Amino acid sequence: MMKRPSLFSLVLAMPLLVWQLAFFLFPLLFLIAISFWTVKMFQMQPDLSFANWQRILTRGVFWDAYLRTMILATSAAVLTSAIAFPASYAISFKLSERAKRWMIFVLIIPFFTSYLVRVYSWQVFLTDAGIINAALGHIGLGPYPMLNNTFGTLVGMVTLCLPLVILLQTFSLNFVNRDLIEAAHNLRCGRLRTVASVVVPSAKVGLVIAALFAFILSFGDFVSPLYLGGGNPPTLSIMITDITKSGQQWPRAAVVAIMMIATLMTVAFAAITYAYKERGK
Amino acid sequence: MDASTTPPAIVKFDNVVKKFGDFVAVEKADFEIGQGEFMAIMGSSGCGKTTTLRMLAGLEDPTSGDIYLDGERVNGRATWDRDTPMVWQSLALFPFLTVQENVEFSLKMRGVGKAERAKRARKWLEKMQITEFADRGINQLSGGQRQRVALARALVTEPKILLLDEPLSALDAHLKVRMQAVLSNLQKDLGITFVYVTHSMSEAFAMADRVVIMSRGRIEQIGTPEEIYRAPYNRFVAEFLGSANIFDGVVGAATPGGHMVAYDGGEVDLPASELLDAKTGDKVTFMVGAENVDLAPTDAGQDGLAATVVGEEFLGATATVFLETDDGQELKVQKSHAELKAVKCHAGARLIAHWAPSACHVLPGEKG
Amino acid sequence: MGNENKLINGWLMLHIALCLTFIFAPIAGSFVFSLNSDRFPSLPLGEFSLDWYRAIWNDPLVWSGFGNTVIVGLIVAVIATILGFGGAYTDYRYNFFGKSFYLALALLPPTIPVVIMGLAMLAFLSRIQLSGSTISVVIAHGVMCSPFAMAIIRLRLSQMDPDLEAAAWNLGGNEWATLRHVIIPFTRPAIFAALFITMAVSFDEFAVAWFVSGLNETLPVKILGFLQGQVSPRINAIGSLAFLSTMTLIVLAQLLLRNPNEGSK
Repeated sequence: MMKRPSLFSLVLAMPLLVWQLAFFLFPLLFLIAISFWTVKMFQMQPDLSFANWQRILTRGVFWDAYLRTMILATSAAVLTSAIAFPASYAISFKLSERAKRWMIFVLIIPFFTSYLVRVYSWQVFLTDAGIINAALGHIGLGPYPMLNNTFGTLVGMVTLCLPLVILLQTFSLNFVNRDLIEAAHNLRCGRLRTVASVVVPSAKVGLVIAALFAFILSFGDFVSPLYLGGGNPPTLSIMITDITKSGQQWPRAAVVAIMMIATLMTVAFAAITYAYKERGK
Repeated sequence: MDASTTPPAIVKFDNVVKKFGDFVAVEKADFEIGQGEFMAIMGSSGCGKTTTLRMLAGLEDPTSGDIYLDGERVNGRATWDRDTPMVWQSLALFPFLTVQENVEFSLKMRGVGKAERAKRARKWLEKMQITEFADRGINQLSGGQRQRVALARALVTEPKILLLDEPLSALDAHLKVRMQAVLSNLQKDLGITFVYVTHSMSEAFAMADRVVIMSRGRIEQIGTPEEIYRAPYNRFVAEFLGSANIFDGVVGAATPGGHMVAYDGGEVDLPASELLDAKTGDKVTFMVGAENVDLAPTDAGQDGLAATVVGEEFLGATATVFLETDDGQELKVQKSHAELKAVKCHAGARLIAHWAPSACHVLPGEKG
Repeated sequence: MGNENKLINGWLMLHIALCLTFIFAPIAGSFVFSLNSDRFPSLPLGEFSLDWYRAIWNDPLVWSGFGNTVIVGLIVAVIATILGFGGAYTDYRYNFFGKSFYLALALLPPTIPVVIMGLAMLAFLSRIQLSGSTISVVIAHGVMCSPFAMAIIRLRLSQMDPDLEAAAWNLGGNEWATLRHVIIPFTRPAIFAALFITMAVSFDEFAVAWFVSGLNETLPVKILGFLQGQVSPRINAIGSLAFLSTMTLIVLAQLLLRNPNEGSK
């Protein structure tokens, strides 16, 4: 209604803007700035040096970690999506409204438990002398190494992502027009083919966004790679903390962090473009 | 009854234009509403009627032109600084307040003390016969009761003018008619101005002293229901009324009382008073009300338009018959069932449609 | 229901059950381990014991940490809810140039990896002499929690009859009075839900971090501190207590969000 911002609108809009500018955007910009700084005598000095960038980007260690993190996050996203889909499908299509609401409530609970506590708990389950191997031992199997390897890392990442991915998939499946499915059955489209050729394309946006969230969470995760994956060789997140600890080398850590954010933004942009691309042909 | 007898104006729209970006919502509103008048603004959705009302309420600012309330120019004055309460289509009652708290709301906003608030709210609850619901929540009321709460809430400050935006559209037909009577009586009782926006002709014509008909942001006609019904200004209004047969004609030779007018299918002698100052050769458009058209069998020797019955629609005691002439012109005829039976009217029947010259009305807005 | 197949449905239900087991095994496990005497529990489980709870009960650091957690949680909840309310109302009511930037700024923080946020905040806050203080924790949590508050309140606003606010203006309330007498009462359930949920988020992010790595460091430092492997089984006890308090808050928030129209006596 108003042409120029009224005092009223400013009072409501500005606090959040100022807060997030000052304490969210500005720290991130500051991170970019310090990536050009230098460290002398364990003190950061403002500077315009590309040495940090050069040092990080020419190291094989960085690119190994980059590739490893990409592969881990992609695997976690694909694996979580694959595990989640049958569950989301069943929740959306097979459960009553009441059961659906309960299921959603139950799936929200994990968000309010500490991820660190859950990972610590997994450690107890997965060690060589842990609960799962002890149980397997009773029937004469194992012990299988489940900790300090990729398997352990993925268990942790799936733990982190699964509730969110099921929720997002369920919400998008809820919007699939039920008549489409009946129409497909009516046209003698088999059950699996209906899911593949009607349900999945109809819910494509939600499924891609869910996978994207799994990727984002896993890509930045440092708890699982460290506690369940052993931390060596490092992922990018672990690398950041390692660099930080070793002699105040924050500028170099900033370079890694910026590379991570750039990667996340690129992947998010590509995924969203793909999700909303017209389903022609 | 004539528009010229309107009482002193309480509302004046002076060349008011409202644009939303490139979209012209109100093209040029230029009219007055009299003190104590029941004015309806009617049109189909998107015609600008609600925007006109919202500008009067102060919820939208005109792009150009001036709005006067009680003699004062009110452009740019916020709605909370005007005393132009509105009854909303959705009613917009506050769901977190009781009935009485809803009614007290505008008194509270004006800083009226608690005891005084309660007293004045009680008076209006009584007037609207909803005292027994005073402490209920809005969700516990029926549609008709909510309507009364909305009215009481709007009227509690005893304003000089009440704005109503399709308040009855959510009610069923029966309740709608009852609420029309309530509104009509209320307005007479209070003697204040009502500005009533609606898309329903029956609502507007049943209650209003005068009606503004709008389409695509333009005012097509302003007048009393009778004036509009008897003498629609242009083709849009005539078609909006729904029961008019419209003919395009050309003014021909002079006759003792007027001119002959030739149209597709015949000629009619129209009096000079109808033709206004049209001269020979001018194009005119005239209409004949469906209830003024008579039907005769083809063998009765009656002059008129030969047409075939294509359909019938029953409306209680009367029926509307739809016919098509050989030239493809559509005709509407409204008759009682007995009259229709007398001419053996049925789908496919050929009949002669005819009417008296006095039944013709030239649409002044379509001249030239 | 000619298209239903019992066998397939059975498999699907089993799959849901397996997913839930996977999701809740570590949560349930942490409860069980917190009540177990073994430092590294395995099968067969050790004896029932309240040792870990006793240990945290007798640790003065835990107590002061608990007090700090609650204070920080309360402050963060209030700040995040105020910020979130303003943002939600701004999004609801106004269209302006740069609105998508505004919304991105308001809602994106939870998608930035914690390590990066931690590093950025630590670097930034230490530069402006704010690191190491409780204020720095409040600032960081305000950034992370306000998007949740905003989303909850925005959702409630979208359930409001769009005429309701205009009706209040029309009845003589200016924007401030309408905010107070209409918008806030209407969104009250969501405001309370936002208070509880942001407090819960703050509490959870914070509790474990705080307890485990002492008191004189900022949150990011504490998170980094975990990486040195100082975790002890006490984390199970602390986590379980934090989880129970959080769930209490969530259930309260849920109850408030239900029947939102029955607000008045």
